[in-house]
Amino acid sequence: MEAFYFGPSESYLFGVFHPRRGTNRNEAVVLCNPFGQEYLRAHKSIRRLAISLADLGYSVIRFDYRGSGDSAGDLTNISADQWVDDIRHAIQEALDMTAAPKAALVGLRLGALLAARAATGNPKVSRLVMWDPVLDGAVYVDGIRSSIVEAQARGSRSRLTSPDGTLHFNGFCMPPKFQDSLNGATLQDIVTEIRVPIAQITSHETDGFSQLQQQLAGQPGFHATLAPAPHDWNYVDHVGGILWPKPVIDAIEHYFSQPAH
Amino acid sequence: MRERVVTVGEDQPLVGILSEPSTDQITEPRTAVILLNSGVIHRVGSCRLSVTLARALTEKAGIPTFRFDFSGIGDSEARRGTLTANQAAVDEVQEVMDYLGKWKKYDRFILYGLCSGAFAAYRTALSDQRVLGTVQLDGYCYLTWKSYFHYYAPRLLSPARWYSLILRKLGLKKVKKGVEVSGIEERFFEVPDFSSYPPKADVEQGLKKLNERGLHMLYVFLGNEHYSYLNQFRDCFRSVPFGENLTVIHRPLATHILSEPEDQAVVVDAIAAWVHKLQQTA
Repeated sequence: MEAFYFGPSESYLFGVFHPRRGTNRNEAVVLCNPFGQEYLRAHKSIRRLAISLADLGYSVIRFDYRGSGDSAGDLTNISADQWVDDIRHAIQEALDMTAAPKAALVGLRLGALLAARAATGNPKVSRLVMWDPVLDGAVYVDGIRSSIVEAQARGSRSRLTSPDGTLHFNGFCMPPKFQDSLNGATLQDIVTEIRVPIAQITSHETDGFSQLQQQLAGQPGFHATLAPAPHDWNYVDHVGGILWPKPVIDAIEHYFSQPAH
Repeated sequence: MRERVVTVGEDQPLVGILSEPSTDQITEPRTAVILLNSGVIHRVGSCRLSVTLARALTEKAGIPTFRFDFSGIGDSEARRGTLTANQAAVDEVQEVMDYLGKWKKYDRFILYGLCSGAFAAYRTALSDQRVLGTVQLDGYCYLTWKSYFHYYAPRLLSPARWYSLILRKLGLKKVKKGVEVSGIEERFFEVPDFSSYPPKADVEQGLKKLNERGLHMLYVFLGNEHYSYLNQFRDCFRSVPFGENLTVIHRPLATHILSEPEDQAVVVDAIAAWVHKLQQTA
C-alpha cells in the first residue's frame, strides 16, 4: 500500500494505491467515496474492499475528493462536477501507476452517481459498479434536508440552512453550489450514455433499485446482486461507531473474482 | 502551508499527514502538535475536525502538525504483539515523536485528542518528558457532588424518569448499551472499547505528577450529561494545585463529536490561541 498526494497543486488529492498481488487482471480499479459522514463511516469498508480487490489481481486506488478527508481545502465553492473531475484524475493516476489500459469504477452511494457521470463517454473506463447508488441527486439533497428537519424534532441544534443556503447535516456542510450541481443528475438518464458493463450491488431492496435493475437488465454484461446488510451510513452515535456491511463487500469481491463481464 | 504523506516505521508503518507552515510562518521550530485518533474513526477525525484543526494550527499558530492513524485504525495496518491497545497507543506516539525528532529535529510535542485520543494523550504525557502540553477534548473526568446533584435532581423531579425506572425494575424495559443502542447487529458494526476507564485516584495521581512536571493542559468539555459545569474538572481533582498549567473550556451545548460548525470553529480557534500562547511562553 502506498499513500500519496496527486492531482493539481491547488486542489491536491489524497490517494492510496494498493498494488495488485499475484495474478495480473490487467485492469485497475478506482473506488469512489460517498459524501460527508457517510464517507467517514465507510472508510474501513472501502479500505477492506481495496485490499480484497488487490488480492484478486487488480491494482486499486482509493482517494479523497477535494474538500474531503485529507485532500485540499474545504467544500466552500466546490461542486459535484469538480468531484467528477477528481474521479477522472484518479482514473488517470491509476492507469499511470499500473500500465493497465482501463480502470473499473466502484462507487458507494453518492460516489456511485458521480462515478457513473465519470464513466460516461470515457474510453478509459472498463466497467462501473454501483453500490447502493444514490439514484437522483436532487432527491438525495431533499433527503438530507428532511433528515435535518427530523433531527431537529429530536432536539438537534442543526439548522436547515445557513443564510447562504448551505445545508448542515451530521457534522458536514453541503454548500449551495454543490447542491445545485446535483440537480438533474439521475442514474436513470446517465446510464443510457454508458457503454461499458454495469453492476448494481445492493444491501437492501427499494423500488428505485428495482426500476434501475429492470432498465439495465437488457444491457450486455449487466450484473445485479442483493447482499442483505445494514446500510444506514448516516447513523451517528456518540462514540463514533462505524458500519461494517461485510456481505456487500464480499458480493463486490465475488463479482470481480469472475472473468470480466 | 505544505502537506505531505508520511509513513512511520518499516513494517506495518503508521500512516499520517505532516502539515508544515511556510518558512516565514514558523513561530517555533522545535515544537510540533500530534493529533491522535478518537475511537475507530480514521485520522481525519470526527466531522473532519482533525484536518480542520491541524490546518488551523499550521496556518494560524505557525506550528507543524502530524495527524496519523494508530495501528489497526484507518490506513495503518494492524500490528501483532502482546501489548494492549492502550499500551500500544503510547508506544506508537513515542515512535512518531522519535521519528519526527530525528527527521525534523522537533523535540517538544503537544498532543491533541478527543475522547479515547485524549486518554492516549494523557497516558503518553505520563510516560514521556518530551510532551510539553496536552489538548484533551472530553478527557478523563469524574462526577463531583455538584455534578451528581445536576445529574440526579432533574431525574428525581421527572415523572417520565420514574415511569421509566419502574419499567426497568419490572423487566419491561431494557437499558441499551454500546452497540445495542444502534439497533445494528454487532457483527455489522464496530465501536471502540472504552472498558478501561481508570479509577479516579489513578488519574489524580497522574495529574499531580504531570502538574509537578509543568505540563500545560487544555481541557475542553463538550455537551455531556456527566460534565455539567465549568469548574467540575478542578473540583474533581481539587488536590492538584494546577495554577496556570490548566485551562478548562466548557461548551455544554456542543455535541461530543463537535458536529455543529459554530462549535467546531469556536473550539478550533480556542485551541489555536492556546497553542500559540504556549509556544510564546515556552
